[in-house]
Amino acid sequence: MFEIISNLIAAFFTLAIFSFLYKDNPFYRFSEQLLVGVSAGYAIPLVWQNAFIPFVYEPIFIQHKWYLFVPVAFGLMLTLRFSKNLSWLARYPIAISIGMTGAGVVLSMNAGVLVQMRSAMQPIDSLNMLIIFVGTVTVMLYFYFSKAHTGLYGKFTKIGIWFMMIGFGASFGNTVMARLSLLIGRIQFLINDVIMGFIK
Amino acid sequence: MEFIKKLQDLDRRWIYLIIALAITIPLLIPFNAPTYTTGPTETLYQMVDSYENREDRAILICFAHDASTMAELYPMEVAILRHCFERKVKVFTLTFLPTAAPLVNYAIDMVKSEYPDVQSGVDYINIGYKPAALYLPIVVGMGDGIAEAVKTDAEGRKLETLPMMKGLNNYNELRLVIETSGASYAMGWVTWARSRFGVNVAAGVTAVMAADAYPYLQTGQLSGMLSGMKGAAEYEYLTDVFAAYQSPDYPNGRPFSKELLKDQDVIDSIDISKDWDPETKTGIMYKWKTARLGMNAQSVAHMVIFLFILIGNIGYFAERYQQNKAKK
Repeated sequence: MFEIISNLIAAFFTLAIFSFLYKDNPFYRFSEQLLVGVSAGYAIPLVWQNAFIPFVYEPIFIQHKWYLFVPVAFGLMLTLRFSKNLSWLARYPIAISIGMTGAGVVLSMNAGVLVQMRSAMQPIDSLNMLIIFVGTVTVMLYFYFSKAHTGLYGKFTKIGIWFMMIGFGASFGNTVMARLSLLIGRIQFLINDVIMGFIK
Repeated sequence: MEFIKKLQDLDRRWIYLIIALAITIPLLIPFNAPTYTTGPTETLYQMVDSYENREDRAILICFAHDASTMAELYPMEVAILRHCFERKVKVFTLTFLPTAAPLVNYAIDMVKSEYPDVQSGVDYINIGYKPAALYLPIVVGMGDGIAEAVKTDAEGRKLETLPMMKGLNNYNELRLVIETSGASYAMGWVTWARSRFGVNVAAGVTAVMAADAYPYLQTGQLSGMLSGMKGAAEYEYLTDVFAAYQSPDYPNGRPFSKELLKDQDVIDSIDISKDWDPETKTGIMYKWKTARLGMNAQSVAHMVIFLFILIGNIGYFAERYQQNKAKK
């Protein structure tokens, strides 16, 4: 019974969101705002239960690890951004966060740049490698703006544009597929969970 | 000509309606379109398969998405979990998103309902939701010790006390991480876990992100990839053909074989238009073929969109021809 009721509620809100395709209406706006509210509302107790209790409350107040007040204080300092006089204090935890991110720069450089570059510098021993070579060089030439894209140079950059267009086309094709998948997911829910569930 | 001009000014809502019908009808009347598998999916499948019955190997599925991308990513997770349960591959599940926590439970419960022998803590461990602030300590910390980096599972049990942890210490045993995500295509795992500890990372991505993830697949930084609903459909198919296959010769499924995938008898034997019949034990359960049924609708919708693009272009060129003619 609970499943039927919850599915009916979900079906109502699915249709309310779809109603925007006809035109904007109060049902759509209500559903949209409810989604935001429910997501935030759901996250708060979960974070409380899984983050605050095991990592703040229990270690400090039960196990008496008082030194943990330091990171907690830094965390609380973030909220001072809302104070006109003390907002500068929020910069310290932000600086620490950015420092933490900086720690990943070396590994990110390795994964995101060096390995990718090394793999692009392979011997041209197949048609695929030749295509990758021509594509990489011509696209990079296109993004060199200190020289006018005219003459022979312009012809090379035009090849770069073609490569990018094919890339954008593949991306767009995938985007269409992704968006249709979302619609398919909802219609599958309406047919199999709601209608079939009701019939059964 | 007047008709084509009218089509050019067609209200977009008619197009929405036609697309909705193009999707709804194939879902109401399922047909058995063949599923062809691609290299990245096969690689991932074989990697998971290679950990069959191994006490000293495990995989981790990191759910990095909420309900908004569930249509594409959820069937992947269900298919991988089913594969793991069929092959007795130890599996961890984890999420750093509060809104993904119920999806992890939902996926495990859905798959587990068909595998009564599978036990939490013995065959799988649901680590559950961990705050995003702990992302780095957990991802890096698991390289030293899984049970130290993640103290408790979703049920609050200490990881070190669970039977599955016997023989599982760190990334030397946890050899594969699969992140299902609508955004980051597992780059965090590639950066921190693969670069430092050499763990294999695979991604289940939404189709939108697939083009961005392909360069990492080409360079081998991603060991395998499932791309959108198509990737999920391929994995479902592979699981049906191999891991979930049952016959007197193969009571526990059959091993992966490229040749079998080309065998017409095998292709014909997997019929998604037939529902599961518990009496004759034939057909396929709906939950094991969601993505493949979705791909039926996807194919029809693509044809309709292709038709619209064609008509739109004919209309555009016809209008331009008329304008040029009028100028002359």
